Amino acid sequence: MEHFLNMGGYARYVWPSYALALLAVVLNIYWARRSLRDAQSQARRRIERAGQSDAIKKGAP
Amino acid sequence: MGRAVAALMTRDLRLALRRSGDTLQPLGFFLVVTTLFPLALDPEMSRLREIAPAALWVAALLSSLLALDRLFREDAQDGSLEQLALSGRSFALLLLAKTAVHWLLTGLPLVMMAPLAAMALGAPVASVPGILAALLLGTVALSLIGAIGAGLTMSLSRNGSLLSLLVLPLAVPVLIFGARATALAIAGESMSAPLYLLAALAVLSATLAPWALAAAVRIGLE
Amino acid sequence: MNWVWFHRFGSPPHFYRLATGMTPWFAWAAALLCIAGVIGGLGLAPADYRQGDGFRIIYVHAPSAWLSMMVYVVMASSAAVGLIWRMSVSHAIAASCAIIGASFTAVALGTGMLWGRPMWGTYWEWDPRLTSELLLLFLYLGYLGLRSAIDDTGRADRASAVLAIVGVVNVPIIHYSVIWWNSLHQAPSVMKFDKPDIPASMLVPLLMMLAGFTALFFALLLIRARGEVLRRERNARWAADALNVAAGKV
Repeated sequence: MEHFLNMGGYARYVWPSYALALLAVVLNIYWARRSLRDAQSQARRRIERAGQSDAIKKGAP
Repeated sequence: MGRAVAALMTRDLRLALRRSGDTLQPLGFFLVVTTLFPLALDPEMSRLREIAPAALWVAALLSSLLALDRLFREDAQDGSLEQLALSGRSFALLLLAKTAVHWLLTGLPLVMMAPLAAMALGAPVASVPGILAALLLGTVALSLIGAIGAGLTMSLSRNGSLLSLLVLPLAVPVLIFGARATALAIAGESMSAPLYLLAALAVLSATLAPWALAAAVRIGLE
Repeated sequence: MNWVWFHRFGSPPHFYRLATGMTPWFAWAAALLCIAGVIGGLGLAPADYRQGDGFRIIYVHAPSAWLSMMVYVVMASSAAVGLIWRMSVSHAIAASCAIIGASFTAVALGTGMLWGRPMWGTYWEWDPRLTSELLLLFLYLGYLGLRSAIDDTGRADRASAVLAIVGVVNVPIIHYSVIWWNSLHQAPSVMKFDKPDIPASMLVPLLMMLAGFTALFFALLLIRARGEVLRRERNARWAADALNVAAGKV
């Protein structure tokens, strides 16, 4: 195990590389899902607002 | 079409010459920047000669950027670009003519003054024709590439450094071939390879850039 | 030629449904391929005869570099489709690409530097690949900058589409000029992996990582593009249906 972690003396370069890639993957997944969630909640709010104004229009006359 | 292009070019030229102070600013900037290099380095000619191509081309690139912001902005604001777009003539060709005027006013003076700056940086007199040829082709390509960036940002109020960010990466090939051609000219070697590549870039941007430019300006006018 | 699929693809509700359904497939494929690739690359592949275990950085560097370029091409081609056929779905896809591409370009640069340190003795060398990646990062940043500078989504879409198309025409020219510039100075990059007899135990994990990162990109793209489609959609009827269906299980 120690031999594996040592990476033939290249541990200082190999592990940070993999950590960097992992970080990018995790961040990208987080950003993508947050972007979708934001868009969905915005759309939901817009639809609700439109629904209310429809109801007001219908109720008015 | 030819008459329309000529009329547009004379109009732009006349407008620019009326405000020659604005028009000559990039040229002054170019000369000042090339003067800064010896001051930042040291006045030894042999070292200056080594960095002369880099200094000339970086200064040329930056001063061509400096003039770009004004290329379409005022014409977009006073509606004359919109008229051109609606004139029914080839918008790409008209914008190419505007860019040509821009080059005549900012690129060409820079090319004319470049030998002076180059010799101040230690370039031998024999290298002047080569430097002129390289800068002539290079500034044409830079004006065309830059015009696309100017078209994309012309309607933005806060474009600040965005224009530079858009244009500079696209200008890298011009910088590479231009500086290499200049270095070869100063060393007194054959500069035909980078010069051909610069010419190819100039021709390529002259044929492709107008279409992108027309699309960019139309979007900016919406 | 039957163009129905194209028009269908261009219809936002259809795209939204399709993207929702396809995301898990890409996500699972990405997860399985990347896990297998990492195990193969870090554990099973033998050490390189010249670079020792240092070469294992290739299993994250090469897929990131591949994505950085592929994403730009996907971005530019969908931007072109959006510009020519005025398809909002295409613009949504292009808009989703930039951040993903920029971040993997940054990873390619970072891992390239970490690889360069033991191989060249320095983190930064003006190596043609690293230099091209850096310029590509600037192109992405310019695209993102232009997009964020324009408030109106429709105009931002079209202006950035023009920029992406100009960029994709220039990418090969920039790359070639950088190689040309570099070839004057030194021997080609050590980050080459073109030995003809590369053993399968080295190659297979690399291919798995390449496929895994590609699948990951499509999963991320579909998630983001759904959000971008919703942002561009003014007619809310299908969105209301889609959101009721999709509510709670994003």
